[in-house]
Amino acid sequence: MKKFVVLSGKGGVGKTSIASSIAVELSKKHKIVAVDCDVDASNLPLSLGLTKFEKKEKISTGVRAKIVSSKCVNCGICAENCPFNAISLKNGKYFITPYLCEGCKVCSLVCPKAAIELYEVKNAEVGYGKTKFGFNVFFAQLFAGETGSGKVVDYVKSLAEKSSFNTEIIVMDGAAGIGCPVIASIRDADYALLITEPSPTAFSDLKRLLKLLDFFKIPRALIINKYTLDENFTEKIEKFAEKNKIKIVGKIPYDRQFVTAAVNLTPPTIYIPKYSHLFENISRFLEGKL
Amino acid sequence: MVSVVSITGGKGGTGKSTIATSLATYLAKNNRVLLVDLDVECPDDHYILNIDLKKIDDIFQMVPKFDNSKCIKCGKCAEVCSENAIVLPKNNFPLFFPEQCIGCKACLLVCNKIAGAISEGKKKIGFFSKGSNYGVDLIAGFVSVGKEESSPVVKHVKKYVESIKKNYDYVIIDTAAGMHCTVIHALEKSDFAFAVTEPTPFGAHDLGKIGELLNELKIPFEIVLNRSDVGDKKLIEKIAEKLGSEITSKIPYSPSIAKAYAKGEVVKDEHIRKLAQRIEAKMK
Repeated sequence: MKKFVVLSGKGGVGKTSIASSIAVELSKKHKIVAVDCDVDASNLPLSLGLTKFEKKEKISTGVRAKIVSSKCVNCGICAENCPFNAISLKNGKYFITPYLCEGCKVCSLVCPKAAIELYEVKNAEVGYGKTKFGFNVFFAQLFAGETGSGKVVDYVKSLAEKSSFNTEIIVMDGAAGIGCPVIASIRDADYALLITEPSPTAFSDLKRLLKLLDFFKIPRALIINKYTLDENFTEKIEKFAEKNKIKIVGKIPYDRQFVTAAVNLTPPTIYIPKYSHLFENISRFLEGKL
Repeated sequence: MVSVVSITGGKGGTGKSTIATSLATYLAKNNRVLLVDLDVECPDDHYILNIDLKKIDDIFQMVPKFDNSKCIKCGKCAEVCSENAIVLPKNNFPLFFPEQCIGCKACLLVCNKIAGAISEGKKKIGFFSKGSNYGVDLIAGFVSVGKEESSPVVKHVKKYVESIKKNYDYVIIDTAAGMHCTVIHALEKSDFAFAVTEPTPFGAHDLGKIGELLNELKIPFEIVLNRSDVGDKKLIEKIAEKLGSEITSKIPYSPSIAKAYAKGEVVKDEHIRKLAQRIEAKMK
């Protein structure tokens, strides 16, 4: 089983549309599963036309503390020691703000009256569904105000891995940024497909992402999306890629039909047939790498 | 009184930084404005404002320092660590994995009562910088590449901002994409927020999530629909109604905005100028 992940650093450059298209192309020859590793903004199922799921369940990847008011003597020692400033006085009573609590248990260690209880937090919903292209897509969505997105990514990945014993390729759609959810998605990836666009901001974010991939020693290739927005800048990215030995496996022009494809919940490779060949070529390239 | 206004949105690439920088320059015509870039994984506002940033300080997080000469190998430190950052191999001293440590000091607290073998050390997790242009002061946080401590960096920068915000009329906060801990800490204690989105199913889904979060944090917010004519507006109108919020501004796709964006320049646009006026009227 090989895993590859689609990443970009900057958000909104086309990760999900491209990931869904490549998943569809790869699924023509391989047994694949797709995993949405953007648990903050889970859009891959939508891009694959999936709005109903076979199974959804709430999961817990951490604990939080709460104060049992009948035992609390309002001494304030917990608030003094909380490393995350999650405990404050409210109407004369100490109170733990749930979204600030990281579940480190320091308050329960220092409380002289054993007035602190730990409880499991349901912080996300995970699920999967079968796409009309024949393969399953796994997703997770963090609940509002909840934390632990890196752990939720780990959870949904392992769910996808265990779902079938004969999966050949796992296609992961990553989150924006270079933080814990991204690190969770690349830790054991075999290959990364990077998406950028010709703008200074996307380029700078790409460079930070490359440093992260160096750190984890993940081989990579690049797609320049919306390259017609600024062809001079595109050339600059091409030169950078050449110098840093990063293969550019595709250039996609700016085309509003990508938005129409998204609105119609259809991967661009299906919705806009003139791009099918491009996505097919990228998939063939990835096959060679995996 | 200073007003803190956050620019967020859920989905990436909807125009948060473009609008935050443009809005800040419009507000700066009549006000003292501090822009805070809390997209610490990929901060970009300084590119758009063409600012050469100067580092203010490094950001550190506490990690335990082990003194094996005092350690009695009791294993309590490993037991209390909620992040599994400390492991006690059989008959050996504790093994510490600093990248997993969140700096809670639980190990230090228990060890102090037993052996006193743990003291406070530190690890670098990022830095923050400042600069000015177009009458806007900018502070930007950067998490070190490969570090998972985006949230502590955001919290540290916010603490610094707290100490200087009295010098300003407006603090504009530019958040990361998503709705996880870094975004929560960036938004916390905002007086008002704009959720910037786009008229696609992705934009609608992610707006729904960030809207729930803003409601939970009790931060009043309005929706800015960017590239409002590229996609299906109804998707967003539906979510806006569900969230009990309104779409204040619809910014159609404009070649001049796209061009300024592609060049990494500050966008000048009538819709964003009106947003600045709206904030001024609202916060008076």
